[in-house]
Amino acid sequence: MAAVLQIKDLVKVYPSGTRGIDGISLDVHRGEFVVLIGLSGSGKSTLLRCINRLVEPTSGSIVFDGADVTGASGPELRRIRRRIGMIFQQFNLVRRTSVLSNTLAGRLGYRTTWRTIAGRPSAQDVIAAFENLGRVGIADKAYARADALSGGQQQRVGIARALMQHPDLMLADEPVASLDPATSHSVMKYLEEINKKDGITVICSLHFLSLARRYGTRVIALKGGKVAFDGKPADIDERRFKEIYGEDAVEVEIGPERSTPQPMSATDAALLAMAEDTGHGPVPDIKT
Amino acid sequence: MAEYFTARGLPVPRELQRSPLTDWRRLSVVAVAILVFYIGLRIVNPDLSRANPAYAANVILELFKWDTSILTPQNEFETFWNTAEGLMIATIFLGIVATGFSIVVAIPLSFLGARNIMGGHPVTAAIYVLVRLIFTIVRSIDVLIVVIICGVLIGIGTAAGVVGLAFHNVGVLGKLYSEAIEGIDPGPLEAITATGANRFQVIWTAVIPQIVNPYISFTIYRLDANVRLAPILGYVGGGGIGVLFFQSIQLLAYGAAGLIIFMIVITVAAMDFASAQIRRRLL
Repeated sequence: MAAVLQIKDLVKVYPSGTRGIDGISLDVHRGEFVVLIGLSGSGKSTLLRCINRLVEPTSGSIVFDGADVTGASGPELRRIRRRIGMIFQQFNLVRRTSVLSNTLAGRLGYRTTWRTIAGRPSAQDVIAAFENLGRVGIADKAYARADALSGGQQQRVGIARALMQHPDLMLADEPVASLDPATSHSVMKYLEEINKKDGITVICSLHFLSLARRYGTRVIALKGGKVAFDGKPADIDERRFKEIYGEDAVEVEIGPERSTPQPMSATDAALLAMAEDTGHGPVPDIKT
Repeated sequence: MAEYFTARGLPVPRELQRSPLTDWRRLSVVAVAILVFYIGLRIVNPDLSRANPAYAANVILELFKWDTSILTPQNEFETFWNTAEGLMIATIFLGIVATGFSIVVAIPLSFLGARNIMGGHPVTAAIYVLVRLIFTIVRSIDVLIVVIICGVLIGIGTAAGVVGLAFHNVGVLGKLYSEAIEGIDPGPLEAITATGANRFQVIWTAVIPQIVNPYISFTIYRLDANVRLAPILGYVGGGGIGVLFFQSIQLLAYGAAGLIIFMIVITVAAMDFASAQIRRRLL
């Protein structure tokens, strides 16, 4: 297995002097579903954001699929970023615009500035947006305003937006921390599906060890900005758990999964057919 | 009351303490306020010796004997735009045009004056500080002073009024716009940046949808304020109906002055109503 991501001696010191990441080296292989666990402030978010340079690392190197992330700048960095999808705890959709606009935003890295201003996405992009929304089961919400959707639906838009990038790597920063248990499983299953079916490597930070065990092929635990555990999910026993989370910690379970990812519904299929029929005109910004 | 706490060895809560000290502090604040007011009155020394109640009463009566001749051209050289209603309309548009100019300048500057857009790099951060400083300086010079200076620089008249009003308004709108940008949710910026979009695409996609409503709201607020301000600008060389008002007072034509005041009141009330309606419909 080729390493899609190589991190060496990564350090991030914040201006306040806090060492967010304190010397992390790890390789992530193609097709892995890596779950990052650890207490709040252990460096999970910082590590994820260093990978696509939303956070500027202080030192160390990150190589993504042969490209030097830490040394890249300007257009080079943007070319790397567009192959790394990311979803967020707070979904980070542009709330006042439509679900479709939000999904199309995933193509920005491939689009010229001029096309962005003109607001005319290409026909292929619009079709791809409907396909990706269909994959996460919300093609019928394409013209709804993003903030009209429930949390789980918004996160699925986030996934659709990331899929628009045709990513090789998907970063997920606490993707289900704002969701209820049932919705959490549905979102995690979409991540599992893109990992298994599309072969997209996933690095996902999670709070619940039960979710990590259920979905991860590999678990990396961070503690104080360092790797405290790196191995199979099954290998985290009581002793390791206490090492990661502290002596007083007790493991809590997230409820069992109930819903399964819906296949594309009849409505979605009809909408997709409509989108293909209409000659791919400009996409209206529906405000509800 | 306090025994409950002293019997248990606890400190008595401040709420139950009524020491002379706290009372003394409160009293001294009132005493200082009265003293400042008294000293101020002595320094200002308002002189009412020239006031004439009978004359004042007469002028007030005169203000209500409206001279409607100013509503029609006075001689063959005058047109509709020299009449009071013509000047009133021109004055309203003076406020609108000045606001328009200031919007065009303030919108691009507001992005340079927003910390969340410009932070992160020393050069852009310096531009941010500079732009904000300019906004503050521009805003701190009162409109009337700016218009007086503009009258000197480019000649008395509507040009001075428009330029002066627009200049001041760039400072006000720029600050309001910049703060609207700083108040947006940073999450979408992060997400759009992560897709590989460039800085301009990030602003276009993640920032602009979030600032449209505050911008409209602030613009209407300033348009309202500027149209209210416009009538007075003529008094300091800014053109418009203020000039006619100034002349009427100078010529002791209180009937004309009274009618102009009434027209301004009607205009401001209408503007108030209109801007409230627009805001309600739009937002």
